[in-house]
Amino acid sequence: MAEVNLKNLTKKYGDVVAVQDMNLKIPHNEFLVLVGPSGCGKSTTLRMIAGLEEISGGEIYIGDELVNNKDPKDRNISMVFQNYALYPHMTVEQNLGFSLKIAKVNPVEIEEKVTEAVTILGLEDLRKRKPSQLSGGQRQRVAMGRAIVRRPDAFLFDEPLSNLDAKLRTQMRTEIKKLHQKLKTTVIYVTHDQVEAMTLADRIIIMREGFIEQIGSPIEVFNKPVNVFVATFIGSPPMNVIECEVVSQNENLFIKIDNDVLMPCPPTKQDKLKKSSKVFVGIRAEDIVPSENSTGVEKKGWNFEKSIELAEPLGTETQLLFKLNDKEVISRMYNPRVIELGEKIKFEVDLEKIHLFDHETEKAI
Amino acid sequence: MSKKIKKILYWFLTFIVMFITCLPGIWIFISAFRPNAEILSKPANWWPDNWTIHEFTQMFSIKGYVSVPAFDYLMNSIIISLTSTVIAITIGMMGGYAFARFNFKGKNTIFLGLMLARAVPGISLSLPLFILWAKLGLINTSIGVIIVYVAMNVPFTIWLTDGFFRQIPKEMSEVARTDGCTRLQAFWNVELPLAGPGIAAAGIFAFLLSWNEYALASVLTRTIASKTLPIGMMDYLSEFTINWAGMCAIAVVMIVPAVILTFIVQKHLVSGLTFGGVKG
Repeated sequence: MAEVNLKNLTKKYGDVVAVQDMNLKIPHNEFLVLVGPSGCGKSTTLRMIAGLEEISGGEIYIGDELVNNKDPKDRNISMVFQNYALYPHMTVEQNLGFSLKIAKVNPVEIEEKVTEAVTILGLEDLRKRKPSQLSGGQRQRVAMGRAIVRRPDAFLFDEPLSNLDAKLRTQMRTEIKKLHQKLKTTVIYVTHDQVEAMTLADRIIIMREGFIEQIGSPIEVFNKPVNVFVATFIGSPPMNVIECEVVSQNENLFIKIDNDVLMPCPPTKQDKLKKSSKVFVGIRAEDIVPSENSTGVEKKGWNFEKSIELAEPLGTETQLLFKLNDKEVISRMYNPRVIELGEKIKFEVDLEKIHLFDHETEKAI
Repeated sequence: MSKKIKKILYWFLTFIVMFITCLPGIWIFISAFRPNAEILSKPANWWPDNWTIHEFTQMFSIKGYVSVPAFDYLMNSIIISLTSTVIAITIGMMGGYAFARFNFKGKNTIFLGLMLARAVPGISLSLPLFILWAKLGLINTSIGVIIVYVAMNVPFTIWLTDGFFRQIPKEMSEVARTDGCTRLQAFWNVELPLAGPGIAAAGIFAFLLSWNEYALASVLTRTIASKTLPIGMMDYLSEFTINWAGMCAIAVVMIVPAVILTFIVQKHLVSGLTFGGVKG
């Protein structure tokens, strides 16, 4: 039960910088998710907090204590690994009780705590089994149980669900969330899956190449991405980002979204676009919808026609693919019907919801 | 029908291969239990007419040695082989772990050096060793032989255990360390039990190498103070006669413990012990 504080945390492998000057305060009881593509430094950050990776610079505090030079065992943290890393030669209960045994807790208390953990995680019937006799989901549960038993100051999760199949992943995701609500402990969770990040996090940190790109609540980073990278990383399907020219006609600014298709520049952004000749336009698939089933967007909406190149039915919706400025764009069609390839469809865009990014810096305008 | 023929064929071929492999061993066993005269008879006598344990009673007769002091040689062999194996395994285990887990300066060079040391034919070292040991007063001592065998076995045990430690995911020790273990506790409680089969294998190899070694021991040992069984076997060689039956008998004394030990340890050689700990 403690806050975790990172100050100018840096990690270098030779000349390669894995994490650069990371500053972060994780309050007690927060569920923080580090997300980013592989190699962005998220796992390295976690491993530095755990003490498994030496740090090249900066400071790590757990609670009020500087832990830079402390062994993992003295940091009172628990880590859950991607490949579970259960002790294969021990039964489930031995796995769970191992940390307490090492800490020389008396056997009665170990038994109590192990029983509590197996009850929380529904492992009662599996206590005497070895890891090799468990399914993937069960192993994952044991790995979490092993972390719970210690009552650590902070839980560290390193992509704990990426080895599970899709269905189990969703299920375990819910369980992790419930567990956090029950245990009320600081959680630092690393994943490359933005859906996991969105559903679990109190706060998301999006990292790229050792730097933090954006910190915010899931809704914040979804609605107000600070740059093209975050915009395309968060959300599924990813945000459509189209490189466009800015055109001025009769004192009004337009964005040339396709050959001969001019989209009016949203009034609030007019001033900022005046000096630019080019801009990146970001539109989420749900903000560019066929007019036939638009839901009241029409008032503010602006529309254009385009022929469909590919339709992917998902049941609840169909994803329509077409090209704008030679860039593939996805639109979500709710209330789907059969779509013929090449069919011309009228699309509506809610101009209030489009994102504009500077052509050079790729930062949000 | 064809299935039955196939099965018979399999058994037949297996029998042939096993027979060829085991023939020398069988011959030694048979010859150990028959009189020398029968071994030398012409035409050859394939199956003994007279079974006898004469040679065994001779060499193990406690009241004064009748033929060869086999009991002393056996004890020397056991002491030298076990001690050198235990030492070689202990050092090899630690070395193998270091090579598998840590990065240090000159790691690859040192490893290569160890392998090259292993590649040097042992016999070429006999003369320098003899001179060195003579000066140090280690000739004809068990310690002298043990040191040589440890030196011979360490590179090998390091190489073998290194491979086994590499197969254990490093997350095993990491998770143990976040579970409150020191590095040493993690090694002792988690990695060592998992590397058990590898260490057992390295142990068998090291033991057999010491148990069977002849060339260097023949240079470094003189009397019952340090002579091992392979060297003791040469006691049956005299100026005008060779006691083949005696030699075969002492060979049996050599073979039996080695086979028993291998049989005991091979149960622990079950691989795939790490299965289930991590996602495959």
